[in-house]
Amino acid sequence: MSAAAETRRRPLRAGEVAVLLLLPIALINAVGFILPVLNLARYSLNRARIGGGIEQVFTWENWTGIFRDRFYLDIVINSVGVSLGITIATLILSYPIALYLHRSHGRWRTFLTVLVISPLLTSAVVRTYGWIALLSDNGPVVGTIRSLGLPAPRLMFNINGVFIGLTEILMPYMILALLAGFGRLDPKVEEAARTLGASPTRTFWRVILPLTLPGIALGCLLCFVLAVSSFITPKLMGGGRVFLLATEIYDQAIVTLNWPLASTLSILVLVIFGAALWAYSAVLRRLD
Amino acid sequence: MHNFPNARSVAAEHLVLEQLGKSFGAVDVIPSLSLAVRKGEMVAFLGPSGCGKTTTLRMIAGLISPTRGRITVGGRDITHLPSHERDMGLVFQSYALFPHMTVLRNVAFGLEMRNVPKPEVRARALRALEVVQLSHLADRKPRDLSGGQQQRVALARALVIEPSILLLDEPLSNLDAKLRDEMRVQIRALQQASGITAVFVTHDQVEALSMCDRIVVMKEGHIEQFGTPTEIYEHPASPFVSSFVGRTNRLRGTSDSRGVITVAGQQIRAATAEAQGPVEIMMRPHRMRLAPAATDRNVPDATPVQGQNSLRGVLERLTFIGDLVQYHIRVGDAEVMVEEATRRDQGAPCAGTPVDLTWQASDTLVFPAAAS
Repeated sequence: MSAAAETRRRPLRAGEVAVLLLLPIALINAVGFILPVLNLARYSLNRARIGGGIEQVFTWENWTGIFRDRFYLDIVINSVGVSLGITIATLILSYPIALYLHRSHGRWRTFLTVLVISPLLTSAVVRTYGWIALLSDNGPVVGTIRSLGLPAPRLMFNINGVFIGLTEILMPYMILALLAGFGRLDPKVEEAARTLGASPTRTFWRVILPLTLPGIALGCLLCFVLAVSSFITPKLMGGGRVFLLATEIYDQAIVTLNWPLASTLSILVLVIFGAALWAYSAVLRRLD
Repeated sequence: MHNFPNARSVAAEHLVLEQLGKSFGAVDVIPSLSLAVRKGEMVAFLGPSGCGKTTTLRMIAGLISPTRGRITVGGRDITHLPSHERDMGLVFQSYALFPHMTVLRNVAFGLEMRNVPKPEVRARALRALEVVQLSHLADRKPRDLSGGQQQRVALARALVIEPSILLLDEPLSNLDAKLRDEMRVQIRALQQASGITAVFVTHDQVEALSMCDRIVVMKEGHIEQFGTPTEIYEHPASPFVSSFVGRTNRLRGTSDSRGVITVAGQQIRAATAEAQGPVEIMMRPHRMRLAPAATDRNVPDATPVQGQNSLRGVLERLTFIGDLVQYHIRVGDAEVMVEEATRRDQGAPCAGTPVDLTWQASDTLVFPAAAS
C-alpha cells in the first residue's frame, strides 16, 4: 500500500491485524475440527442400532458402558500404558542421538539431520512391513537369537512387535523435538561444570539433563500423542491380537458399525490428550 | 627483563608450561610455548584475536588437550588430568552461569562437587556472595541479573572453591566501559586479597597493564615478550609489542655505524643504536613535543640539544579528544602523531604550517627493519 494513496484510510490497529491474520485458520479449525468433535460428542450420547443405525435419543449408556465393561477399561489402561512405555523407550534411544546431533557442526550435521529425517519420507505402512519382515518367526532377528541357542521370544503379532515398531517410527519426531528444545544447552555451561569439579556423569545429571528438560517434555508429549493415536502399526503388527484405543475405534466404526461407541472412545482419546497437554504445561511451569 | 624465569624465582613457580603445543589438523596454532607463572601473581595473556591466548588458557583448564608439551602446577604434572580433577576456577567471557539454578546454587555447585558437607556449602557460598556484594540476590535466577552482576556471580563461583589457579577468559569484554573499570579494580582486589595465582586472557592492553603483575604478549602462537607492564611498555622487545601495547609512531630510516639515524633526510639519535642499515624507529606520541618551526629558512641541526631529537614536518590536521589533542604531522612520506594534554590557553599551530617535533633520544626505540 502506498502511503500517498491511503492517507484517508485509518491504519489498522495491531489487534485488528491479529484478528484478520488468525481468521482463516480459525475458520478452518471451526469447520474441520470443532464441528466434527461436537458431532462426535453428540453421537457418543446417542444409541446404536444393531446393523449400523443411530437412534437419536439422549443417553449416557455408551459412557457408563465403557467404564463398567472390563474390556474397554483394559483397552484404555493398556493404550495409555503401552504409549507411555513407547514414549520412554523412544526418549532413551533418541536422547543420545539428539545430543550428538546438537553438538555436531557443518556438513556432518546436515548429513546426520537428513539421516534422522529420512524415515519420515517413507510411509509408516512400508516401514511397518519392513519390521514385520525383520521380526517375524522366520525373520533374521528371531533367527539370530535361535542360532545363539537362546529361547526365541515371539516378536511378531503381539505387543512386542507393536512396541518395537512404534518406537522406531516415532524416533525421528522425538529427535526433532529434543533438538528444538536443546536451545538452552550452551557448551560453555558444560565446560563451567567440568572446571568446577563435576565429572562427566555428574555434569550430565546436574546440568545437561535439567537444561534439556523442556525438549524432553515436548518430545514426550508429541510421541505420547502419536503413540496413542497410531493405528496402522498396531493394526498390522498386532495381528488382531493387540487391542488398543485406535484399533478399537476403527473396529467399532468400520467393522461393527457402532458409531456411538466409536465416538465415545474418540472423545475419551481427546480427554487423554487434554490430560497429556495439561501435564506438559505443568512440567513447563515447574521448569520456569 | 624476564623473558624466562630466572633462578631466583624457581622456588615460587606455580604454573609451568613446558614446550606446550597445539595443532588443529595441519594448523599449528601454538608451535611451542614455555613460561612459568609464580605463586600469587596475576599474569595476562595479551594479544590480538587468533594469537592462541584462549587456546593456551583452555589447555591449562583441561578443556582441550595439548598436542605436545607439559603443564605442571606446583610441580605436579597435570597435562593429562581431566578438567574436573584440575582444581581450577574458570571465569568465562559469557559468564556461563547455570541458567536453571539460583545464584546461590550456582556458587554452591563447585563445593557440592567436592562433597563439602551441606551446611558448610551454604555458609561458604553465602560468604562468597558477600565478597562480591550480591548476597541480596542469592535466590534470583541468573537471567534476572545484569551483566555486571552475572560476572560477579561467575567470579564468586570460581573463587569459592579456592582453586589452585584462577583462569579468566576475557571476563570484561561483555561489559560496558564504566562497569569494566569497576570490575577491573574489583577483580584485582579480590585476587590480591586471596593471594590466588591468576591467568587473565585479554586483547585489551589497558586491562593487562593495569591489572596484572606480568604480561605475556602473544602473536601467532608465540610469546613475543614476557615482562612487567613497565618493561612491556618502556622496553618492548619487538615492533609488534610496541605497537600493540599503547600507541606508537613507526618510521623507517637508516642507521650508520656511529648510531646516527637518517629519517626522511633528517638526522636523529637513539639511546642505543645496535642495528645498522635499514631500521624501524618508534616513539610514543605523548613523549613528543610540538612547536612551530623555529625558522623557515634552515632545516634544524642534526643535534640541536644534547640527548634531544628533532624532526621538521608539516602539521596536516589535529584531532581534539577531550583530555588530549592529537597532532598529525607529515614527515617525508610518513605520518607522525603527537599527543599533548589540552590547555585552555593553548595557541595551537594551524594545519598546513611547518612544525618541529622534539623528543628525548632515550625515548627512541630502534629495531632492525623487517625483511619485507
